[in-house]
Amino acid sequence: MLSRILFVVAGLLGFASAQAAPDGQALYIEHCAVCHQFAGAGGIGLPLAGKKFADYSDDYLFKTIRLGRPGRIMPAFEELSDAQVEAIVRFLRVRTGSKPAEYDPAPLGGDAARGKALYQKHCVACHAEDGLGAGKGTGVSVARKRSFLVMPAAIANPGFQRAASDAMIRQIITHGRPASGMPTFGKILSQQEITDVVAYVRELGKRVSPPEPIAPDEKPSHVYESPYDFETTVKNVKQALTGNNFRIFPDRFLEQGLTDEFSVNRRQVGIRFCNFNELYGMLNIEPRLGVVLPCRITILERPGGKVLLVVPNLRVESRWFNNDQLVRLWDHMEETFSEIIDEVTL
Amino acid sequence: MNRWVRYLALGLLAWSAVTSAGQQMLMARVAMKSDLAMEYLRTAIEEHGYAVAHVQKCDSGLAGFGFHSDTYRVFFFGKLEEVRRISEKHPEFSAYLPLKIALEAEKDETLLAAVDPTTFERYYAKDRDMIIQFRRWKSDIRSIFAEVRKVAGDKVVQAFQP
Repeated sequence: MLSRILFVVAGLLGFASAQAAPDGQALYIEHCAVCHQFAGAGGIGLPLAGKKFADYSDDYLFKTIRLGRPGRIMPAFEELSDAQVEAIVRFLRVRTGSKPAEYDPAPLGGDAARGKALYQKHCVACHAEDGLGAGKGTGVSVARKRSFLVMPAAIANPGFQRAASDAMIRQIITHGRPASGMPTFGKILSQQEITDVVAYVRELGKRVSPPEPIAPDEKPSHVYESPYDFETTVKNVKQALTGNNFRIFPDRFLEQGLTDEFSVNRRQVGIRFCNFNELYGMLNIEPRLGVVLPCRITILERPGGKVLLVVPNLRVESRWFNNDQLVRLWDHMEETFSEIIDEVTL
Repeated sequence: MNRWVRYLALGLLAWSAVTSAGQQMLMARVAMKSDLAMEYLRTAIEEHGYAVAHVQKCDSGLAGFGFHSDTYRVFFFGKLEEVRRISEKHPEFSAYLPLKIALEAEKDETLLAAVDPTTFERYYAKDRDMIIQFRRWKSDIRSIFAEVRKVAGDKVVQAFQP
């Protein structure tokens, strides 16, 4: 009798455990499809479908999801449990019909100095001098021109460096990635030469420096007091923007569209502006830029007549995207904005 | 002393930039063409009690530049009472009002994205009303995305049948 009860309990526990197992497909839809598309065809993120999965170990996929690619859009999914990440990996295996590659995690011990010369000759055109990939942005969505296939991998990225074993990198160099345009080097280079290139790739990983960090107390917007009245401030802002080659959109009051036109506070106005050439360049780098577009300087008249200019802090905003290319560009743009405000408030 | 605290904080930030690739973005993919997704997004925003203040076109000539997507919109939405109250108390936050959702077409699918409002919590640690506000906005944006996704849900599941 007792054995029967134990059998039923064990069965129920097994059933409950099976029921509680994370659903890889649901997790993929929730966390991955947004960038890699439902069918893995790639969007903001790289395509996931294809033969390349046969080169990946499960450990590499697990670490890639867990660590992401710092500064390269792909976030670190730290909030997922190990079981959830493993479920996504299993789901990717099923969907790509691939079996996990097995690699010895030990370093190969190549000669980085010899590898450097080979890297300069064979790899630098696509992976760039610093190993962070030639070109802008990632993925194949709005950020990529139609003529592009995919971005060469940022092999010096700390996320890649920690996820990929030496043996896996050697395997990929040896056999290439026909689907994404990477040639096969197994017939051009000896295994020792490839091992040396791997050693140099590791050296590149040590040289990566993230953009300058910002102070923890740096605020997401700047507030300046205008020495002029509301109308003059609005006029000055428009003049300064035009002088800096920005196209100005029609004014919008802060409350416009939220209430009827007679109730809108007309002493709170957003001056919206854009330089389309620069915008398209930036969309190449960061397709999600719309979440902070268009550029806007908000002018508020406070009780008592004080006029404030409120300007987004691009240095802070750019760090929301996990995109180092955008950070570097916007750190520079922040200076332009600062000069505009100087012009306006002088 | 302050200088050392500042160095330590900067060092920690630099370290976290290397070791963590977190992000402050709420995103959703909808298995639906963008023109339809725009309609459902508008409805979902309004059903959550917000008014769509306006829809900004950001794609004039985008296709001409060789991009994959030629539909890119930003939805501005908010509640009058919230915008008035917050811009009065925290004029610096008016840079982020009304709220925004970006919508981008990717062939037959549509991408929705917004800055996670709780990103701002660290700047308003002493203002409980703002903390609650950010969390409510986050919850609403997630719910808005879920509602738009729900409409196209069946197609999503079919695409994943092994």
